[in-house]
Amino acid sequence: MADDVISVKDLVKVYDDVRAVDGITFAVEKGEVFAFLGPNGAGKTTTVEIIETIRDATSGEVSILGMDVKKNRTEILKRIGVLPQEFSSFDRLTVEETLKYYAALFCTDCDINKLIDLVNLEEHRKKLYINLSGGLKQRVGIAVSLVNDPEIIFLDEPTTGLDPRARHDVWEVIKGLKKEGKTIFLTTHYMEEAEVLADYIAIISKGKIIAYGTTTELIDKHFKTVKVTIKGGTEGVGSLAEKMGMPTQGRDNGNITIEASGNEQIVEFLNALKANNISYLSMDIRKPNLEELFLVLTGEALIDKRVTQ
Amino acid sequence: MNVKRVIANLVVHLKQFSREKSTIFFVLAFPILLMLLFGFIFSDVGSSVGTLYIQDLDGGAYSQGLVGAFNGTGVFDVTMVDTNISPDQYYADNNIDILLVIPAGYSDSIYMKLLDPASPEANLTILYDQSNTNTQTKISIVGSVIDGMNKELSGSVNYIGVDLQGQQSDEFKFIDFFAPGIIAMSVMSSSLFGTVGMNTELRQKGILRKLATTPLTRAEWLLSNILYQMFMSLLSTVCILAVGMGMFGLRPHINIYMFVFILLCVFSFAGIGMLITRFVKEAESAQAAANAVMFPMMFLSGTFFQLEMMPDFLQTLARFLPLYYVNEGLRAAMISLDYSIILESALVIGTFGTVVFMLGVMLTSWKEN
Repeated sequence: MADDVISVKDLVKVYDDVRAVDGITFAVEKGEVFAFLGPNGAGKTTTVEIIETIRDATSGEVSILGMDVKKNRTEILKRIGVLPQEFSSFDRLTVEETLKYYAALFCTDCDINKLIDLVNLEEHRKKLYINLSGGLKQRVGIAVSLVNDPEIIFLDEPTTGLDPRARHDVWEVIKGLKKEGKTIFLTTHYMEEAEVLADYIAIISKGKIIAYGTTTELIDKHFKTVKVTIKGGTEGVGSLAEKMGMPTQGRDNGNITIEASGNEQIVEFLNALKANNISYLSMDIRKPNLEELFLVLTGEALIDKRVTQ
Repeated sequence: MNVKRVIANLVVHLKQFSREKSTIFFVLAFPILLMLLFGFIFSDVGSSVGTLYIQDLDGGAYSQGLVGAFNGTGVFDVTMVDTNISPDQYYADNNIDILLVIPAGYSDSIYMKLLDPASPEANLTILYDQSNTNTQTKISIVGSVIDGMNKELSGSVNYIGVDLQGQQSDEFKFIDFFAPGIIAMSVMSSSLFGTVGMNTELRQKGILRKLATTPLTRAEWLLSNILYQMFMSLLSTVCILAVGMGMFGLRPHINIYMFVFILLCVFSFAGIGMLITRFVKEAESAQAAANAVMFPMMFLSGTFFQLEMMPDFLQTLARFLPLYYVNEGLRAAMISLDYSIILESALVIGTFGTVVFMLGVMLTSWKEN
């Protein structure tokens, strides 16, 4: 397509015996936020580093802004901005000096003040990098990735290891970039992050893309049902639902989740509850989220809850 | 090659350095401490503090009076020297630092002077080691004793003159031998550990990965690192020379050859550092590898003691170590000015440095595998 700024075809990367990236194909259009969602070790960073020209592919074709990554490295680097995974910078430079240094590497006269403003670091500009919190460091990293006014910005796990507050601050910065019409390639293992920020999502697992589309498309395609959670219901909720042919799950703490095929069935069910004199504290109706989609697609959780958070 | 990018990098390295107090300590204080330590240990070798050697060729009343005056100071332990030996010979043979010679006819000269103030002064001769600070102290005490004698004799006219004869010994003092070795060693260690430390730290922090996504080229990056290591090396050289010259009477030749050897030493060991970090990715292992390179070289290439003290096979081995040629070259350039050694050492270390540095440049890659 004419508007594709990144196009990846049959990309394969083999390390020793492991196929880290196993034949993936996708495209990113100009101006969209594209999220590469997957658990740790799925092949996200390998893929993104191949697109950024800092890693060589085993096979496959990757072109960015219409240029082949193998042949046009120098030109590509001038036009993209990269926040690498676990970004870090020189400990004893201030925020301001860090930005000036990276601007000098690109030999551009970039407006440092505007960047500092964009990532909201005005009050920290004279502080040494080593004295900044994790969230502030990431914002410096994002500002650094913008010194050359890039057409595409790669953000590799921009909020990993941040507390919820800092994560939301980083999201605000990314939303600001989106408003400016930048194309953003985001890799993350946080479902919520992809849902909040992305226009388009590719889910990657064990080196393969297993789902591809907008959040709504993905959910609608894979889940035909709606989830109804009844909290604090009296006896008989579960058996009633089963009698009406609706599968139930998660009967704990008096909560019960029922799968309904659609709104009509929910109304039917509510009427039946009333008719049977069954009362409840609250009810919650929702579509399954990406987390559940991932579980359905791979049989494994997106985030290993014992390890992260 | 873009000069602006090289300078930007150099500025970052210098800022990082000047803001990190522990680095400043290790780069500058360590060689200074070594100089002080070894300087103090070896500066007094062969000279017994407080001893004044006197050869009395006169044997008259005034010469005995003078010897008595020196004895009376209580500062000196006066040792009389056999009058049958020539003073120069005695000075050279006995490894002493100060010899006062009272010439024959000294007493007569003073009589003459007393009778006729216009007659010439009675002259004393002092042979001394001009590079030894301890001797300088002795000279000034001798001077004040003679002044006292002068005042006693006349009040204003100098009856006794002193002919100071500074001696340059053929044998180099230990400090002459030691200072170039310390310079070579600190240039080696700062280039080697500086390169290894910087590369592994920046790699571990992911800064190299970020730099790989900028237009900075490998050659620009390596060049700025080398310039930074050269700056550091010159800084520690200046410190070592300042201590050596200020405190231990080191009087080296400071010439272009000295700088050439320092530069070649930086290239060689920064190159080895690049090769180490190319193959040993983990920070602690890389440090260990750098130590494994440095320690044998420090002890076997004649940094701390002369190679002649070692068994033959170790002397042969030393000739395969690059630091040996830096040591030899620096000593020739700074002390003996032996041009054949300068040329030979420069050729060996120059070739080695070029090969290692080129290998380092070729094998260092921005890309990950």
